[in-house]
Amino acid sequence: MSDMSLLQVKDLSVSIDNELPILHGINLDIKPGETHVLMGPNGAGKSTLGFTLMGNPHYCVTEGNIIFEGEDITSLSADKRARAGMFLSFQNPYEVPGISLSSFIRNAYHAQTGAPVKLLAFQKSLKAAMEILSMDESYADRDLNVGFSGGEKKKAEILQLLMLKPKFAILDETDSGLDVDAVRTVSKGIEEYQKKKDGALLIITHSTKILESLHVDYTHVLVKGSIVHTGDGTLVDEINANGFERFVKED
Amino acid sequence: MSENKQIVADIDRSLYDFKDVESESDFYRMQEGLTEETVLKVSEEKNDPEWMRQFRLKCLKLYNEIDIPDWGPSIDGLDMDKISSYVRHKSDMKGRWEDVPEDIKNTFERLGIPQAERESLAGVGAQYDSELVYHNVKDEVAAQGVIYTDLESAMWGEYGDMIKEHFMKLVPPTDHKFAALHGAVWSGGSFVYVPKGVKVEIPLQSYFRLNAAGAGQFEHTLIIVDEGADLHFIEGCSAPKYNVANLHAGCVELFVGKNARLRYSTIENWSKNMYNLNTKRAIVEENGIMEWVSGSFGSHTSYLYPMTILKGDNSKMEFTGITFAGKGQNLDTGAKVVHQGKATSSVINTKSISKDGGIGTYRSSVIIQNSAKRAKASVSCDSLMLDSISRADTIPGMDIRTDDADVGHEAKIGRISDEAIFYLMSRGISEEDAKAMIVSGFANPVSKELPLEYAVEMNNLIKLEMSGNG
Amino acid sequence: MNRDINMKVNVLPVLTYNFLHVNDSTLQIKDMEIQTDGAPKPSDIPAGVTLTGEVPFSEAGQVFRANKERILVAKENFAGPNGDTSERDKDQAIRTGMGADVDNLMTNMGVKSDVYTIDEGVRLTSPIILRYDMQNGQGSLSSQVIHAGKNSEATFIMVYDSDKDAAGFHGVSTRILAEDGAKIKLVKAQTLGKEFIHFDDIGGALMKGAEISLVTLELGGSRVYSSSYMYLSDKEASYNSNMGYLCRDDHSLDINYVADQRGKKTNAAMQFKGVLMGTANKTFRGTLDFKTGSSGSVGDEQEDALLLSPDVINRTMPVILCQEEDVEGRHGATIGQLSDDLLFYMQCRGIDEVEAKRIMIRARLESVSRLIPDPEIMQKVQYYIESIV
Repeated sequence: MSDMSLLQVKDLSVSIDNELPILHGINLDIKPGETHVLMGPNGAGKSTLGFTLMGNPHYCVTEGNIIFEGEDITSLSADKRARAGMFLSFQNPYEVPGISLSSFIRNAYHAQTGAPVKLLAFQKSLKAAMEILSMDESYADRDLNVGFSGGEKKKAEILQLLMLKPKFAILDETDSGLDVDAVRTVSKGIEEYQKKKDGALLIITHSTKILESLHVDYTHVLVKGSIVHTGDGTLVDEINANGFERFVKED
Repeated sequence: MSENKQIVADIDRSLYDFKDVESESDFYRMQEGLTEETVLKVSEEKNDPEWMRQFRLKCLKLYNEIDIPDWGPSIDGLDMDKISSYVRHKSDMKGRWEDVPEDIKNTFERLGIPQAERESLAGVGAQYDSELVYHNVKDEVAAQGVIYTDLESAMWGEYGDMIKEHFMKLVPPTDHKFAALHGAVWSGGSFVYVPKGVKVEIPLQSYFRLNAAGAGQFEHTLIIVDEGADLHFIEGCSAPKYNVANLHAGCVELFVGKNARLRYSTIENWSKNMYNLNTKRAIVEENGIMEWVSGSFGSHTSYLYPMTILKGDNSKMEFTGITFAGKGQNLDTGAKVVHQGKATSSVINTKSISKDGGIGTYRSSVIIQNSAKRAKASVSCDSLMLDSISRADTIPGMDIRTDDADVGHEAKIGRISDEAIFYLMSRGISEEDAKAMIVSGFANPVSKELPLEYAVEMNNLIKLEMSGNG
Repeated sequence: MNRDINMKVNVLPVLTYNFLHVNDSTLQIKDMEIQTDGAPKPSDIPAGVTLTGEVPFSEAGQVFRANKERILVAKENFAGPNGDTSERDKDQAIRTGMGADVDNLMTNMGVKSDVYTIDEGVRLTSPIILRYDMQNGQGSLSSQVIHAGKNSEATFIMVYDSDKDAAGFHGVSTRILAEDGAKIKLVKAQTLGKEFIHFDDIGGALMKGAEISLVTLELGGSRVYSSSYMYLSDKEASYNSNMGYLCRDDHSLDINYVADQRGKKTNAAMQFKGVLMGTANKTFRGTLDFKTGSSGSVGDEQEDALLLSPDVINRTMPVILCQEEDVEGRHGATIGQLSDDLLFYMQCRGIDEVEAKRIMIRARLESVSRLIPDPEIMQKVQYYIESIV
């Protein structure tokens, strides 16, 4: 059944708070295990697409549908999408004093599976995942994102990705503001997720650092709210060398 | 130090302080004190309609019943028995500048009023003591149907019913003791009506000058901005300094219609013997916008908290204010807002500066009623202490009665950092100039909201205060 | 003997508009039998601490009267703030958050105080715990005075607990004098029944380099008054207060916290975090008062109120009074429901709105409850929070 789509986006148009149109007629077809990259200049609407796929109420779908595993999820709330197996990593995740990183992940895990969390097994796998991400164990007991550096926040997002094991994950600018070492660590975490053979990815980025060690199936270029070009993994290198100029002109 | 002298010389305090004592015989002055007799006398002088005469008497009764507020600055220095509630020049209001009596004309010429009118205003009203002495509106603005006139004559004209319907309805005389006083002895002031959809491109202005010693000024400003209309109204006040207390208990009522916008700017520079017990209030209908810009520099004692009632859904209010409390001044200022309509929003930004023993108090209230779903309110107040013999107090209140509201509040009190002064001094600027520059910068969010000429006047006032000659 | 109580409490240090109804509050109790036979005692008294019981309330205040000049640090008097109310409480041995009426009640009812004296330099390693286990229908008053000697260190934990549905009344006055370099941590955890009226009135003074850290959890009770007045009288005194509250059903919570900063380079930080539900009614008053002479001082108060029902009433009155140039005072308040962005973040992790609210209530209260230095009491309080939300 590997031909069957995991996520289909059909003629999707989106506006912000019902006013400003941002995305126009977006089409995407993502199969299990595939890694898609969404690139484009600043302000093209990349993050908007990520938020819309995940169901942020600020963004209104004015046309089109989002289909996940054959079900139309266009009007589902974000928590239902997450329970269906979708995940979005945030550029600027929220700081929540009073709730520790580990207890937050436990809460989320419980909400998604409905099953009671086996504490020992949970702690073991949390520790293993944190090791992959070179995160100090003490972060597990620190308040969620409170006082975390930019890099630590991004790692905490990837940690949730590894722990919650979604079928499909959108990574929004996970590499922005990170130094070389941190990018390497984060992309190691993403590789780990890819190893799970039907885990699909949509990586939103405007740089290419994070993609160097990852296998990419498709690359989409988003300019002014429309996908103007789709190619394979080699397109990443081309953009790396020449920038977006060619696509902006085409537009 | 020579640079400092230069600055002081640039600003001429005499601009505000001059007075013309020789000509007092030209003035009619009502006997001091407040009795039924004086109230009826004012009513007679004003040629009131009967409803207004009755209203004044009702207000006097309320004035005698209501206590003075127990929370604000002391007003013990104010003796109503020594305040004359009505002083006027023995001549009528003029529509042509040339016809205004010479002495009064000189006063306003020195304040730069007619010049400003020629250059940047759509219309001007000038009040001298208790009466308007001059009123003029540019022809093109009058042609749009905009009414800008004195309230007394308007009561007898085609807008008489409109005035009766609105007068002291927003600020009822029961509101507080000095609102009642105002209702009893009010005189002068303006009536403005901007018809539906009319946008007045350049500002209208009223200038209030209280020249007589031991007198009260009780002007009433009533502005109605109808649906979709747009107006900027500027109010300026000044008075020369006397050794006896003066009283200003004006009242401003503003009605902002659906989709309309009103900006009301004030630069208040009363002399430092003035008790400024002024009441200003606006009510805003659906999608309407009320903007206040308020600079308080003068007065001995001030109670001033312009209030906005956001009645209509999506209505908005923005208040930008600055208060400079110098030697001998107790300025208790701020803003009040009541959110009633859905998705209403208010932003209050104030700056306050205290120096030379001055007391500056920021006081406010933000009320979000249960009906005001999705309301947003934000308050930010900064105070600057320039020495350790002054006071800067911040007393904001919030009363929130729905969960579906977003309320943020920030207050800061501090002083000019030594590093900032050092930095400027290392560039060759004297310490006093450096402080004045920093204070002007602190006030900048307010001055940038004002038309250029007024921003310049405000900066001059700040420099004057900073040089210690205020 | 059954008594009626009618007191004016929590008077704002400076009066403001009467229509806001925040200038003071009334505490009224009808026909209540009130016991005054003393507060619970700790299970053992550590070495270096003297407990003197049965001291009449006003006599227990003598230690503050004897030190009045050091506490008030009389400076040249410039003009007070507009609407100043300090006159009202000037006869108190030491000014407290709720004010003179509490002192008068304690005195008139013949309440006896427990006076804890901690010897100079004594550092207690474990907390002194006072457990109030209140019975249904019980009415009582109690009082402590803590006099911490120079460079001493101690932690007091007072737990006010009863059955969940219990009704009753309890009032407590806790007054503290922290001498030079003393460090006192005072924890108050209140989980009384849902028909309980409770007041907690604190007053204190910090001398040179002294530290007082206050942790208050107001989680139960129907009508609760929780107030504190601290004098930071001498150089480098440091006061830190954390309150967590939960106010639900038709309950009310009335708060009046003041940091009166008089010494040089003092530091005051007050934080209030809480949740309002049902038709709860909360009034918060918080005042930083920088007096002449407090140069180099810093003060910060932060309020964070989460409103979870359309019919709550939240009044917030954050005051900063300042008569000193070289100080930094800050206040911040965030009042409203769960932010859309945070809710969306939670939802993205599969957590629905109801669960997200539960998590946020717990997070808020637990960030305060975890400051309780006794693991067993901390767990008990956290269990109480979980059982409610």
